[in-house]
Amino acid sequence: MGSTSRTLEITVLSCEDLRIGRKWVKKNTYVMVRTDPLNYRATKMDTEGGAYPSWNQRLSIEMPLHERFITLEVHCKTASGDKTIGTARMPATDFMGGYLPENYLNFLSYRLRDAKGERNGIVNVSVKANLPEYLSSNDNDKKVSEINACSMTSKPAPAIPIEDGKNFGFVTGIPIWSKNHV
Amino acid sequence: MGNCCSDVAGGRAAVGGTAAAAGGADAAANDAVDYYLKSRGFHAMFSPIELSFSATNLRDRDVLSKSDPMVVVYTKARDGQPTEVFRTEVVLNSLNPTWIMKYAITFQFEVVQTLLFHIYDVDTQFHDIDVKMLKLDEQQFLGEASCVLSEILTKPNRSLTLDLVQKEDSTISSHPQRGQLVVHAEECISSKTTTEMILRCSDLEHKDLFSRINPFLVISKTVESGNPIPACKTEVLKNDHNPIWKPIFLNIQQVGSKDSPLVIECYNFNSSGKHDLIGEVRKSLADLEKLRSSGAGENLFSPAAVGHDHKVLKSQLFVDKFSESVQYTFLDYLKGGCELNFMVAIDFTASNGNPRLPDSLHYLDPSGRLNAYQQAIVEVGEVLQFYDSDKHFPAWGFGARPIDGPVSHCFNLNGSNSHCEVEGIQGIMMAYTSALLNVSLAGPTLFGPVISTAALIASQSLANGGKKYFVLLIITDGVVTDLQETKDAIVKASDLPLSILIVGVGGADFKEMEILDADKGERLESSTGRVASRDIVQFVPFRSVQSGQISVVQALLAELPTQFSTYMRSRDIQPNF
Repeated sequence: MGSTSRTLEITVLSCEDLRIGRKWVKKNTYVMVRTDPLNYRATKMDTEGGAYPSWNQRLSIEMPLHERFITLEVHCKTASGDKTIGTARMPATDFMGGYLPENYLNFLSYRLRDAKGERNGIVNVSVKANLPEYLSSNDNDKKVSEINACSMTSKPAPAIPIEDGKNFGFVTGIPIWSKNHV
Repeated sequence: MGNCCSDVAGGRAAVGGTAAAAGGADAAANDAVDYYLKSRGFHAMFSPIELSFSATNLRDRDVLSKSDPMVVVYTKARDGQPTEVFRTEVVLNSLNPTWIMKYAITFQFEVVQTLLFHIYDVDTQFHDIDVKMLKLDEQQFLGEASCVLSEILTKPNRSLTLDLVQKEDSTISSHPQRGQLVVHAEECISSKTTTEMILRCSDLEHKDLFSRINPFLVISKTVESGNPIPACKTEVLKNDHNPIWKPIFLNIQQVGSKDSPLVIECYNFNSSGKHDLIGEVRKSLADLEKLRSSGAGENLFSPAAVGHDHKVLKSQLFVDKFSESVQYTFLDYLKGGCELNFMVAIDFTASNGNPRLPDSLHYLDPSGRLNAYQQAIVEVGEVLQFYDSDKHFPAWGFGARPIDGPVSHCFNLNGSNSHCEVEGIQGIMMAYTSALLNVSLAGPTLFGPVISTAALIASQSLANGGKKYFVLLIITDGVVTDLQETKDAIVKASDLPLSILIVGVGGADFKEMEILDADKGERLESSTGRVASRDIVQFVPFRSVQSGQISVVQALLAELPTQFSTYMRSRDIQPNF
């Protein structure tokens, strides 16, 4: 039975030029990555980057194939509570489909807009869409895509635990292959 | 350059201060360190190379013994005048010599470095004389060969074999065998290792207990004569007696070697520019590595005032992190088989003027003088052609109406419907002249279709696992009409192995075009909200070059190796030797 979702490895890199009102953000920002209202992951809080925070944190999120956008929300924890200071939508076509090879590491950047629709900085991420589970195997040798056989070898990604976020309603199953399986 | 990918800062992140930092006001202005870093730092495009020589099957000119050959190396300037730059030693009595002396030359990517080699048989009577004193016209000429430096560097094992010829015998149809010269190149960078360190100090004390300390570190290399030369400095921290600075990146080359003695000075920042020295430590990088593993601290000392000893302070320096990584250069990737693929797109809009009239930018001068378009093609193509193994260059035109059909904004210059490639620079020139005769100039000036086609080629090559980096040269006479569509195409292509060089010919005002070059403005934004991941566009207005002048196109090309290496490094792609 085929899988209806893909695993995305999104590394939230940094943001630039974040403001609240007219003033630069001072601290305590984090990014939430969402595929729908119930399925999201969040980075740790950056306490000292100010208006140019950086996280370099890898998040793993399941994205159903019918979803066309990933939403990136930048939040700031201020004295008056949690504020969403900027949002951007990342179309799935930017990192999947087209002529880009499987497992290509995409570096993407998006304009953030605040609740009023005004520009509020830029968010930088890198995204890698993994093959659907039924196409991958547990064999680590196969990690490097066959297409890249004799040429560019990027470092194989280390195993990443699924970040603790909430993922209601979807069961993630990983098929188990025995070593002797042909 | 609008690059969002992390990159080696070489301590530069702190020097001059990132404009972005919220506490930017504290960035100290230390001009000497800035200039020093820039002259030695990351942007240096000059790679020192050593050429070594050997030859086979040389002609035997001596009666009783074999030839005693020596190589003389010349560099050839644009106008063809050779200048002698080097002589090897004389190898006695050998027709298959290997010379020991090596020629040191600096590799400059953006220049076509033509080399000429002459081999002489040195007469016995001169064998005791220093090679430099020998008069060449008194020696026996054995043969000559020439090549371009990049040809040597793009060979898989960096060895180029050249057939030797006799220059005077141009009328002789069959050349007697004169043997072969093998030139081998070695990159002589002592170390590509970069060290990342996190340094911390404890209990910094200054004049009195209650004064504020805004500390920063300066790491300098000691030299035998005179004052230490600064290699890097950290950012300034505010009011901190136990500072931990951001990671420092030092290339071993900046300090000499891992065991070179360094001076690490801790200063208190003073907005007047006269920073007070709090204390210093003298350690090499190897010592710092030991400090890291032992976890111990090293006491700072205050340098001796006249008549006193060093005063050892309570403050200590700790090394919280010490790691080394290898930074590959452009030449390393070339050695590993990476290629630069050249593509060209030519503006055929009506604003160029009727090609049959002499004042048109597309005028083909019967005397053979190249027009601006041809000059730009040759200048860029000449340099890039050596980095492309098959010399098949995609070539397009835009803004014209081919013989039967509507205006096309991306048509194959060779007139074919199926493939867009031509062979060699000659192929581009021929396709250009024939296209001029077969299309009618129209408009408007749109770059979007050409950029999208080039991006498609780049991504298809990626999908096939190619180690290719693509360079698209767009030569245009006017300002692009649909700026947003062009920006969209550029943003979509910004994550691909592609660089776009735009050369503006003619006298138009190209101010709007400079928006496309993120060096001169902000990062490009598409209409969908996506921002360019890197700056892939370079724009320059073309000025006709008189002989001897340096071309602005060279400055464009000089940036390419950095764009290429940055792309590779950000993806952790390592050259496969």
